[in-house]
Amino acid sequence: MRALHEKSLKTFFIDGIRWNLQGTPAFQIFRLVLLGCMGLGIYAYSFQARYGLSVTGMNDIVSWGFYISNFTFLVGVAAAAVMLILPAYVFHDPDFHRVVIIGEGVAVGALIMCLTFILVDLGGPLQAWHLIPGIGLFNFPSSILAWDVVVLNGYLLLNALVPAYILYCHYMGRKADERKYRPFVFLSIFWAFSIHMVTAFLYQGLPARPFWNNPLMGPRFLASAFAAGPALITLILAIIHSSTTYKIDRSVFSKLRIIIVISAIINLIMLFSEIFKEFYFTTHHSISAVYLFFGLDGYDALVPWIWTSVCANVLATLVLALNPGKNNPKVLLPACGLLFIAIWMEKGIGLIVPGLIPSPLGEVVDYLPTWVELCVTLGILALGITVVTWLVRVALIIEQNENPLG
Amino acid sequence: MSSDKKHPKESDIIKLLEGDSSRRSFIKNLSIAAAAGSAALTTGCIPSLAEASTEEMKLRWQEFFKKHYRLMTQEEKDAAVGRLERLAKLENNLDLQMGSEPPIDGVLYGYGFNITRCTGFMECVTACIKENNLDRKVHTQYIRIFEMEPGKLDPSTGDGQYYHEVPVDNKFYMGTQCFHCENAPCTKACPTKATWKEPDGIVVVDYDWCIGCRYCQAACPYYGRRFNWGKPEIPKDEINTKQHYLGNRIRPMGKMEKCTFCIQRTRKGRLPACVEACPTGARVFGNLLDPDSEIRYVLKHKKVFRMKEELETDPKFWYFID
Amino acid sequence: MNRRVGLCFLLLLSACIYGSFAMAARKSFMDEVRESEAPFDNRTVPLEKQVIEETVVTMSPNNDEFFRVLARKKQIGRYKCSSCHTDKPVKARQGLELTHSDVVLQHGLGGRALVCIDCHHREERDYLEDKKGRKIDFDHSYQLCGQCHFRQKRDWLAGAHGKRVANWAGERVVYNCATCHNPHSPRFEKRFPATYSVPLD
Repeated sequence: MRALHEKSLKTFFIDGIRWNLQGTPAFQIFRLVLLGCMGLGIYAYSFQARYGLSVTGMNDIVSWGFYISNFTFLVGVAAAAVMLILPAYVFHDPDFHRVVIIGEGVAVGALIMCLTFILVDLGGPLQAWHLIPGIGLFNFPSSILAWDVVVLNGYLLLNALVPAYILYCHYMGRKADERKYRPFVFLSIFWAFSIHMVTAFLYQGLPARPFWNNPLMGPRFLASAFAAGPALITLILAIIHSSTTYKIDRSVFSKLRIIIVISAIINLIMLFSEIFKEFYFTTHHSISAVYLFFGLDGYDALVPWIWTSVCANVLATLVLALNPGKNNPKVLLPACGLLFIAIWMEKGIGLIVPGLIPSPLGEVVDYLPTWVELCVTLGILALGITVVTWLVRVALIIEQNENPLG
Repeated sequence: MSSDKKHPKESDIIKLLEGDSSRRSFIKNLSIAAAAGSAALTTGCIPSLAEASTEEMKLRWQEFFKKHYRLMTQEEKDAAVGRLERLAKLENNLDLQMGSEPPIDGVLYGYGFNITRCTGFMECVTACIKENNLDRKVHTQYIRIFEMEPGKLDPSTGDGQYYHEVPVDNKFYMGTQCFHCENAPCTKACPTKATWKEPDGIVVVDYDWCIGCRYCQAACPYYGRRFNWGKPEIPKDEINTKQHYLGNRIRPMGKMEKCTFCIQRTRKGRLPACVEACPTGARVFGNLLDPDSEIRYVLKHKKVFRMKEELETDPKFWYFID
Repeated sequence: MNRRVGLCFLLLLSACIYGSFAMAARKSFMDEVRESEAPFDNRTVPLEKQVIEETVVTMSPNNDEFFRVLARKKQIGRYKCSSCHTDKPVKARQGLELTHSDVVLQHGLGGRALVCIDCHHREERDYLEDKKGRKIDFDHSYQLCGQCHFRQKRDWLAGAHGKRVANWAGERVVYNCATCHNPHSPRFEKRFPATYSVPLD
């Protein structure tokens, strides 16, 4: 660690980068793998830049595909940081105080992935500056997408600046002034709900798509996000616990488990309610749900997908709720992973694609992402993981107040 | 396309694609395209830029930073039109006559479609493709004709891909296109105001302002919008050179497009291409604010209905029965 | 506490009232359309394309307005008919060349099928003749068609049947009945569509 008098904002950034370039060989290999994935993503995107979105599996009917699906899901992961912020800053839970910074790091990573997914989904990414108020023309407040741009960027700022301020204070060897950041913490709590509600409204506000035009959309988004997000954070905490010197208390995991279980159960109740509405008395508004769950006119690409997701979701929820191994991480961690994947399947492709099928004029097509979409997505996920590891590494080193590299 | 000479690798891919128009086979062939594309990448990502002349570069630069159409003064509109004409000359040696005619005072366009008369010949569709410079490679079509069973009025129950001798007895035909809703979900959705309703009721897109997010496409309950997934391709001798800035000018890649009631014609008093082409007179077009117009007669004296009226989109497109 | 509840209630109530007013005040453009009764002068619209085809003037009985109909005589290949159909009988030699064997008469259903002189003037071949015995010029054949197809004629006069030539604005010029319908076989023949919608996947 540098001597205190040498420290400044400049050295804060330099140290941040320095700590992240150094590390064990295993860590370096991990970095290289991520870098390779990002390179693959850029390579795949170069096709899209050249030949347009025609290299994706999307068409005029399924006009949103894998990118927007992942975006939608990751908004939930970003919003879930609030499940750590709320107990840590508002209820002053000491367990959560230790891990809240990791949750915020995950939120920042997820938001960066969200924004990148939006950017790669644009047909004219070079015109994205048209969205910037002042030099562009922003359709606010009429367009929900405009709202989404505002809330996502705002949440990114909040989630980056508050932890950065706290970390910087700790780096400088002083205690962060709670009066300064507390209002922003409260703001970020409301903001977390808003990013998910606004993203849900993006779909919910379209009468053209009965599958989305459903008032349960927003609440269900929240419930699924507060299950999937903390599940991911549990996994990350477990990795940190086992691979670094930063030890995390067992009570954090059990508290997170309760949050996940409650959210997952609410999510399942809402899923059941939706399924009931669609299938008890099937109308022409239920056609998308019929396509999703049973297939339509011989098109059934999503049927195995959604049933896998539903089964995994129920199984994981049951395991987490019943807790058969008595807080045995070997049981709970895979269950968290399973729940995360199940919700990713359902809140991603399982939500976006059937909303667009059949078309408003009744045409049914199947959607399959192409290798370009898969590789670009892989690249963006690698970018997100990189961001998270960078932030978490800096945070842990400062919080432990020691430099493992001397 | 002149670009074929410039980039042999790209033309190979295009040839490959033209073998089969469907996008699915495109995906199958993408592995081949990938190899060719990677070679193209090494020679420079955007070769057309590298070979562009200074004048072309300057024009493109100015085009990139131009304002939203509605914020332009008439001089700026003229300048933008001039740039686009010049660029078409430089890039493809095309002599365009592009216009930016404003809406006519006291005119609100309305459209009637006679489901008793339409026989499904689809002359309107071909006329629309030619008039509006629609992408021939992926067969973009603004108009869709559905063969309907009696007793049904929802096109989702009809057959939109028929190809047999028409009319078939005891069936009727129903055309759809952009309905130019007064309360249009698409214009409400657009995050950059790149699509809007003109005072004469036409819902237009500023192709250069659109960012290609496709939210409007998800918002449209009538499947009235089309996206340029790739670069549109039209044989040079088939390009309609009489264009309008908001109408049938050749769209850039990655932008939304749609029916504009042939704005390049209707603002000069002409009928849309589909109306002119219809061999059975099933299509009626005119000024809703003119009490003596044909469309007003239809609204007053015929049994009219609009599609998905329950959505309150207020389309300016009525179906009617003789 | 009570005051707070009351305040909330008031707020809610005012929101409801505002909402209902907003709903009621929402005007459809159809109101504007219905209210616009002032005639619109179509001639003020600058026309890109003038109708160059030969036309004849007719009058609409509905609104006493004159409009134009595409002329017909120039389109008939063998007009004038009187160049053959003279007072003398047509010679068989000419008859072979100029016979109307190309005419397939499929007009009128079942037992009510029409024959030539149902429409063509019995003596003066340059004219048509309606059931009241009035002589009708070929350019004004709609008068003849309209005696049976009176509904179509009514719609045609007002613009719900048939269509205008080239322009929606400017002077009203409409297609003749026979521009679209073959008078001898007026029903459109079945044929393949001009194009097809591509399969979307």
